[in-house]
Amino acid sequence: MSSTPTQHTPGRSALSDLRLSRRRALGLAGSAAVLATAGTWAGRVLTPDAVASPGQPANLYLAGTDGWIHLPPSPAIPPFHPDNLAPDGLTTYIFGFRNVTGMSDAQRLGQKQKAQHAAPLFWVPQYDGNPDHEFRVQLTNLGLALRPDLFDAHTLHWHGFRNVIPFFDGEPSGSVSVPAGREFTYVYRPHEPGTYMYHCHVEDVEHVHMGMTGLVFVRPSQDGNTDLYPSGRYVYNDGDGSTGFDREFAMFLSEVWAEAHWADAHIQLPEWSDYRADFALLNGRVYPDTIAPNGSVDPFNPVHAADGDLIAPAGHPELQYQPQSSLVTCNAGERVALRFSNLGFRESAMTITGIRMRVVGRDATPMRGRGGTDTSYETDTINIGPGESYDVVFTAPPKTGSGYDTYYLYNRSLTRSNNLAAGGFGGQATEIHVYAGGVPAQQYPNDWGVSA
Amino acid sequence: MSAALHRNRTGLRRGLALLVGGLVALTAAAAQVAPATAAAPPRNGIVCTTGGPVAGQPVFDLTTRTGYIDLPDGNTAFMWGYSSGFDPFQHPGPVLCVHEGDLVTVILHNTLPDDTSMVFPGQDDVRANGVPSQPQLGGGTPAMMTSLAPGASAQGGTVTYTFTAGRAGTFLYESGTNPEKQVRMGLFGALIVRPAQGDDYAYDSADSRFDTTEEFMVLLSEIDPYQHQAVEQGKNFNLTTYKARYWLINGRGYPDSIADNYASWLPNQPYGSLATVHPKQPNETPALARYLSVGSEDYPFHPHGNNGLVIGRDGRELKNGPADLSMEKFAINIGPGQTWDVVFRWYDAEDYSPANPVTVTVPSLANQVVGTFYSGSPYLGTKEALPPGVQTLNQCGEYYIISHNHALYQITSWGVNMTGPITYMRIEPPAPNTCAS
Repeated sequence: MSSTPTQHTPGRSALSDLRLSRRRALGLAGSAAVLATAGTWAGRVLTPDAVASPGQPANLYLAGTDGWIHLPPSPAIPPFHPDNLAPDGLTTYIFGFRNVTGMSDAQRLGQKQKAQHAAPLFWVPQYDGNPDHEFRVQLTNLGLALRPDLFDAHTLHWHGFRNVIPFFDGEPSGSVSVPAGREFTYVYRPHEPGTYMYHCHVEDVEHVHMGMTGLVFVRPSQDGNTDLYPSGRYVYNDGDGSTGFDREFAMFLSEVWAEAHWADAHIQLPEWSDYRADFALLNGRVYPDTIAPNGSVDPFNPVHAADGDLIAPAGHPELQYQPQSSLVTCNAGERVALRFSNLGFRESAMTITGIRMRVVGRDATPMRGRGGTDTSYETDTINIGPGESYDVVFTAPPKTGSGYDTYYLYNRSLTRSNNLAAGGFGGQATEIHVYAGGVPAQQYPNDWGVSA
Repeated sequence: MSAALHRNRTGLRRGLALLVGGLVALTAAAAQVAPATAAAPPRNGIVCTTGGPVAGQPVFDLTTRTGYIDLPDGNTAFMWGYSSGFDPFQHPGPVLCVHEGDLVTVILHNTLPDDTSMVFPGQDDVRANGVPSQPQLGGGTPAMMTSLAPGASAQGGTVTYTFTAGRAGTFLYESGTNPEKQVRMGLFGALIVRPAQGDDYAYDSADSRFDTTEEFMVLLSEIDPYQHQAVEQGKNFNLTTYKARYWLINGRGYPDSIADNYASWLPNQPYGSLATVHPKQPNETPALARYLSVGSEDYPFHPHGNNGLVIGRDGRELKNGPADLSMEKFAINIGPGQTWDVVFRWYDAEDYSPANPVTVTVPSLANQVVGTFYSGSPYLGTKEALPPGVQTLNQCGEYYIISHNHALYQITSWGVNMTGPITYMRIEPPAPNTCAS
């Protein structure tokens, strides 16, 4: 495998100095023509619109760019997998997001071609009506290092956000998108708790499949009320504690069609109707990588190297750009919330052996009819289609003695709980470790609490 | 291959044009007695075909025809379809609108080279030529089913189906003969049964009321071009090789999907799917979208910007006695043969306007990529100048919010991305506005 074709030094300032792109130069040439003939252009469109209150600084700063991740290199899918352009230890070309909050300009610009998958997990408190508490996500576009010929813009589409204006929806035809070297701030005032997902909506099929996808959820205003459930943490404003939980884990589903990823790296176009899911991913990894440790997951306390790069999880250098673990750790008797979102292109059948799940929400809506009828239900398997989300809560089974009991969470569409290997588990699968006690409280979602 | 195929199609089209010419003459002669007529069709929303003047006893003449549809990549597909009376070929079939309790008569005239029949999933006690419509068995032991219903023989056969539309809801009608071929060739359409409660209700309950000016159809289907080519050439098609390459909404792919009903450049594909709505108050009477799928896999349809409230499925209201079982969803993942009734309303939750601006500094438009439908302003009803050279289709500061299938490989057309089952919700600025000018 060759090394990455383009190397970037953290201090490179090409993006910030790029005042006149090709597109822009064409636009200016056109403007001269318009002024000379019709005179319809007043020129004010080139200045920012001032607003009365420009609001607070961004709560989160995301960057869109390209990069590489690791999937099991064997068996190979020649010539597509592993990609012969991939850096050592990595296999698969992606587009993705990175959390660049708090970075210096040099650090941020240094993250070009260092995208991660899944995209950074984040969460937002339900909006309380105070504009100072709105949630602001700044987005920049670092460009695609391997495909400088693609001047693709990026956006952030919060999938499922109700009653949004096109300006903040991120669908590029109805509003605006962010070209390389520019930035844009999306403002969210989330009124509905629950589990959602987000993705870039530019060239939707391509940018989504290439990996610009992640999970976002909204915490209910009921949080903190310990009368309904001792932890004071809930999935919804249930009024009765039925969605209370002690631990929570995001389970983000995505897929990799090796040919499509290879095609983007090799300046080819895939035929999308030939789509297949060669790899089915859980939080950006396949089993058994899904039970490897977390890297930097908490978006509000990010940890990175001095140059801004991600730090690989302990013992797993190949998972440097796949920081999110899917291992569920809990104590017997605790309530565990699993938040599923699917941005793959196939329906998944996520099942747990030996533990029944209660479905308490779907598509960021509590399981209640209009009259308040409880429509929650218990099941072993949730069938989750593309673009759907499910919130489930289970109670960890009894456990005595030392060590832990292991339960499996996997895709019952079994072709997607393996890694194309001759046998054995893989793909969209992970483990649930139930201890008798002693697992400390989570610091953030998907936190193990233990060093396992 | 494609050049030869194209010549072949051209030849067939000429033949078809002659045939249609003949039919037009027939239509003119028959115009006074055509039983199924539609009033001047609305630009957007459902175009109902109603069954003639006798209240309670609608009669539909459906004729099977062949024709071509245009696909977003410039290709065409040979189709079979149902047309009303002497109307020329259209795809999909006419939207049949009846009332709960109506005695419905559908007279099927078959011009195809194959025997055909019709089934009405969700309707009880359907009769064919007066006898119960039942699966037809062929010879041999054990007897094999040849058709789900008594049918009309090839090239001139006729059969009359009758049933009482027993309950309100959204239903399919489709071929019951070799449906794996005939339904995929296009022999399908929508049947809407309006409740006794009134035409502004989806079901017989007060909370199913909708705004009748904002009623939309989302009929999802798919095409394997090789199957259609084989039928056109009279060849067999091996269904184990079936692979859809096109996916359609109301018989069109984006961007044709957002063209008006009866757009002149889509002569055989009359039904648009642009959902033109006005911004609502949170408790205002909602719009209604009737989803139907005739495909062979799940279509997870995702309307941006609002959750739909699913109030009915397969022509059954989501209630259990007095208990309401409706569900809000942002993914309407409709399966093969299903129908879903979904009410929705959009409103700007933050009431943004130039007087209540977004709390970010709007970047210079030169620092953004401007979308085709963008007005230049974040605010409904406001239009701003765009950078030189940038074209917009925006008329009056209206909003466009997308809806699309989220199995995203399905929003392509045999290699052309961002086509297929995509449509938009067009939100009109509050009156007075300049949209009509």
